[in-house]
Amino acid sequence: MNFLIDALFQSFRLLISGNQETYSAIFATLKVSTYSMVVSLIIGIPLGFILGHHDFLLKKQIRTLVDTLMSLPTVLVGLLVYSLLTHRGPLGQYGLLFSLEGIAIGQAILALPIVIALTAASVESIDDKLRVTFISLGANPRQILLSTLWETRYSILSACMNAYGRVLTEVGISIIVGGNIKWHTRTITTAITLETNKGEFVMGVALGLVLLVIAGLVNYSLSFLRKR
Amino acid sequence: MQTPAYQLSGIKKYYNRRQVADIQELTLSAGSITGFVGPNGCGKSTLLNMLAFVDSPSEGTILYKGQKAHPFSEAVRFRVSLLPQEPCLLKRSVFENIAYGLKLRGFNKSQYLKKVNDALMLVGLSPDNFSNRLWYQLSGGEVHRVALAARLVLKPEVLILDEPTAGVDVVSAQQIMDSALMASKEWGTTLVIAGHDWKWLHEICDNVIQMLNGKIIGKSLENILYGPWNQVSTGLYEKILNDGQRILVQGDSPLTSFAAIIPQRFINISANPPVQKPDEHLLKGVLVSLSLEPAANAVMLSVRIGGQKFTLQIPLEKAKENNIFPGQIIYITYPISSVVWY
Repeated sequence: MNFLIDALFQSFRLLISGNQETYSAIFATLKVSTYSMVVSLIIGIPLGFILGHHDFLLKKQIRTLVDTLMSLPTVLVGLLVYSLLTHRGPLGQYGLLFSLEGIAIGQAILALPIVIALTAASVESIDDKLRVTFISLGANPRQILLSTLWETRYSILSACMNAYGRVLTEVGISIIVGGNIKWHTRTITTAITLETNKGEFVMGVALGLVLLVIAGLVNYSLSFLRKR
Repeated sequence: MQTPAYQLSGIKKYYNRRQVADIQELTLSAGSITGFVGPNGCGKSTLLNMLAFVDSPSEGTILYKGQKAHPFSEAVRFRVSLLPQEPCLLKRSVFENIAYGLKLRGFNKSQYLKKVNDALMLVGLSPDNFSNRLWYQLSGGEVHRVALAARLVLKPEVLILDEPTAGVDVVSAQQIMDSALMASKEWGTTLVIAGHDWKWLHEICDNVIQMLNGKIIGKSLENILYGPWNQVSTGLYEKILNDGQRILVQGDSPLTSFAAIIPQRFINISANPPVQKPDEHLLKGVLVSLSLEPAANAVMLSVRIGGQKFTLQIPLEKAKENNIFPGQIIYITYPISSVVWY
């Protein structure tokens, strides 16, 4: 019990004292998760809308595939992205291996199926009565699309929160693609892994609590938007 | 002569290869009030969706004011509005719900503020109390009224109401009826209303059209007699009523589940036992209600015979002559060969 209380105090100390190493990991975490979320939302929301709203050949099979990809193992994504970004890989010339951008690519791949699947589910769950309402009030197809997305905003927000949670807490991609380089690609999760390996459990748990605080703040902000 | 609001010809609608509507010809005059009645699943909502250009027919053409129209065509997009049976509000405030259609038409807030408030008052809701309420803070009746206000604010040329008062409290139902009639009277809006409240529809409509199995079966309130039918002899069928009386009809080997209609024009009523003709069948029932149809200068009678309700229209003068009143024993006769099968 003392161990956890120590960790709690340690986490506050880390945050209040402005520990540079901790803040470097926090900023790296926020940076990569923001990059990956922006990319996955820009690509995932329109694809999710198409998957949920339209009927086309192989839709069911694609839906099953996307649902399966929601459970992608992070180490597998890490390995895949590593093989693409390594000097011998097809994208090796861009020098993205062991960079925050490289981690963001991996995390975007991780978040994309979640955003697509949950957006599709929320669009599917919309009653056909809503479409009738839009048409009855004079909306054209483009306005129906935009209004439908707006009406599903709370569900899409939940999809974002789910995807963000997965991205924020993953460690496989960050460690394989990022390399856990101090002051550079060390994120909170990779720092926790390192501290645990060093036997610094209190520090590890403290960083975990810091991660929890960040997740709490993000969720609180989204909940605030929801209330509006 | 004014171009009709709608001209339908050869309309058929299929859902998964199942035919749900078959309308050979239908014309609705501009500015008229037309009612559609019929049992659940008879195709009223399907027809209304096509009239509202929310759905397209599988076959046939719909002309709107002489022009061929389809969903999203400019000729109808801002002119025809449908209030579905279970209206759906957007996840926004009442104000935003009503303003939505106006925004689509390019109005800015300074232009639509008064319009929205006026529309709310038209449906009997105070703008001060309701404008800022969210969609989930309304009762069922209020949802219907806000949804109607969102249509009325657009002053549509055609307003289509699908069972507007179904499942709505009495006050809201009255307000909805009054607001719809105001639109017809003040703005010349063509009203198309589907419902089960045939008394109200007969009272307000220029035409009441009855539907069954996706087809129009008449422009008066016909008595639909559902099966099962028992075959008595070749070409003669009977339906046993609760009180032991039987309805006898003649026909060409119908399926026992078919519905039969005895057209009103063949049904005679009298307060005293009539002299029965050889090919006629006699039934005895109780007059349960009387209602006035001002447009037709007639009285609508409901006669209950062994659990089966017969609705008949008689001239007002004849009703006065016979001095009929609810609770009275009534005799009806009809030729057994007059049945039409559906």
